[in-house]
Amino acid sequence: MKPADNKLNALSVRNLSVSVPARGGRVLAVDNISFDLPIGKKIGVVGESGSGKSLTALALMRLIKDPVQVDAGEIFMGGKDIMKLSAKEFLPYRGGEIAMIYQDPMSALNPIMRIGEQIIESIRVHSPMSKQAARKIAIDQLGSVGIPEPEKRIDSYPFEMSGGMLQRVVIAIALSGNAKVLIADEATTALDVSTQERVLTLIDKTATERGLSVLLITHDLGVAAQYADEILVMYAGRIVEHGQVQQVFSRSVHPYTRALLDSKCDYTLDVTKPIKSIAGQPPRPDNRPSGCVFAPRCDFAEPACSASIPLLSAHGDAMAACFRADELIFNQEVR
Amino acid sequence: MTQDFEFLNRLGVINVAGLIKIAKVVKQRFSFSVSIILGILTACLAAPLLAPYDPYKIAAGLPFLGPSRAHLFGTDDLGRDLFSRVLYGGRITLLIAIAATVIALVLGTLWGVMAGIRRGWVDEFLMRTADSTMAIPQILFALVCISAVGASVISLPLVVGFLLSPTTARMARSAVVTELNEDYVVAATASGLTRNRLIMTEVMPNIAPQLLVQLSINAASAVMLEATLSFIGLGIQPPNASWGTLMLQGYAKIWNTSWFVFFPALAVTITILAFNSYGERIRVSLDSRKSSS
Repeated sequence: MKPADNKLNALSVRNLSVSVPARGGRVLAVDNISFDLPIGKKIGVVGESGSGKSLTALALMRLIKDPVQVDAGEIFMGGKDIMKLSAKEFLPYRGGEIAMIYQDPMSALNPIMRIGEQIIESIRVHSPMSKQAARKIAIDQLGSVGIPEPEKRIDSYPFEMSGGMLQRVVIAIALSGNAKVLIADEATTALDVSTQERVLTLIDKTATERGLSVLLITHDLGVAAQYADEILVMYAGRIVEHGQVQQVFSRSVHPYTRALLDSKCDYTLDVTKPIKSIAGQPPRPDNRPSGCVFAPRCDFAEPACSASIPLLSAHGDAMAACFRADELIFNQEVR
Repeated sequence: MTQDFEFLNRLGVINVAGLIKIAKVVKQRFSFSVSIILGILTACLAAPLLAPYDPYKIAAGLPFLGPSRAHLFGTDDLGRDLFSRVLYGGRITLLIAIAATVIALVLGTLWGVMAGIRRGWVDEFLMRTADSTMAIPQILFALVCISAVGASVISLPLVVGFLLSPTTARMARSAVVTELNEDYVVAATASGLTRNRLIMTEVMPNIAPQLLVQLSINAASAVMLEATLSFIGLGIQPPNASWGTLMLQGYAKIWNTSWFVFFPALAVTITILAFNSYGERIRVSLDSRKSSS
């Protein structure tokens, strides 16, 4: 991995490892991952449940709490390694440099506090001002995230609003500190499909307008394909493939990415076609195979795959962690 | 598909949760138990207006008179009017109980919240202290303290309040720990709130209903403890009388003039029942919220 370059990248992660306790010791739930989030770009992070997507997001916010631990790694923002900052030094970063949108807006807001107060609070955390001044900004922000009659809705309680509305409020709160990096952790999973679309479009639009860099964590490949510039595929705590969205979806290198794409059901093609599945289960964190973690389920595995861990390396225009990547690309082209 | 249903379900839950948390707790204010509590409080506060006789006046009537229209609760061995004495006694009992409840709430909340937010060895130390305090029999502890400093309207609330605080501390700690793991508290952390602001704006308002339950249960226990202490002669000393003192005096004559002990005991019982059932009602309304989520 190249050294972190803070002129191009809003965020650079180097060798991040997060461990969770398990029987007889600790196991890595995020295993030595490195990636760059270029300024103004959107990276879609995809992977199954338990692949370490959310833990990565939490680690970026430094919200990892005991018994989960960050074992190693550097996270550079603006040339500084935020993992080395003291808790107090890091405080202004939360919401001020890097903000997060949560999976479930219904539980991400304080149920007994008016939404206005919650927005005003986070505005005033980052730029001290009077409540009246903050209220004006809050109304503007509610308007800009598409809430009708913001001057009325600002005094609503969370239970008076729908899930989609609440997610807009959560986005307004996330934007209130003028953060440059936005993490959307399964931001639309709890919403219904039509609302999902609108909320994602809002995130997309806001990010473009404000030049935000976005980490779009999702297990919906369609969402990632539509809204991200780059795709990062995670499996069992490791990044197995990283590339431009075009490349990953049309010329994926890693067998896992291919299997994942094959298992996507597409009713527009043929309704009777059975959905392909990947044989077996993702390995439990405390029982990972040695070598390539995907090897036991991989159609292309050979003995060498279980002998040592493949590192993320360039294969053509893609980055993939697979020993047979070049071979597979070659076969694909020949075919 | 299931996700869609789950979403609807959750949406419903939040509506219920929010409504209950705000409206239902307020509604409890007008329940039967609260009217009893308020009734007793007003009667005792307005004792100078309501009491037909001076509670300390000896021979307001003949001694050992049974309940009658002139003496609602009868008279005691010195001919003092028992109705007036129960009203005035209630002032002392309730004063001590309220003061003790407030002390228990403040001390216990600080104790528990501190443990809940600091965790680690601070938590361990504070909670083990609470456990050890609870391991000492309450009466024994009160006995030692009161005999050391003497019984007064200052020492009794302090001792009773301290005795009740570890339970409050435990409750407050567990509520804080639960609350700190709620998504909205983590979300507030992520938007850069300091720990103190987090506690004040996110955690405290949300654990307030639970504290209210504890407050109510504590009030009942405080009335009970005060009455018990007075009954074994460690409470308010004669000629002043609390309900416990009155019971102690009446108990000696229980075989001849049973009303003597009956009325103060009835007052204690009703008060404790009212406080407990109020606490129970809030708890149930909170439970229905929790169980549906």
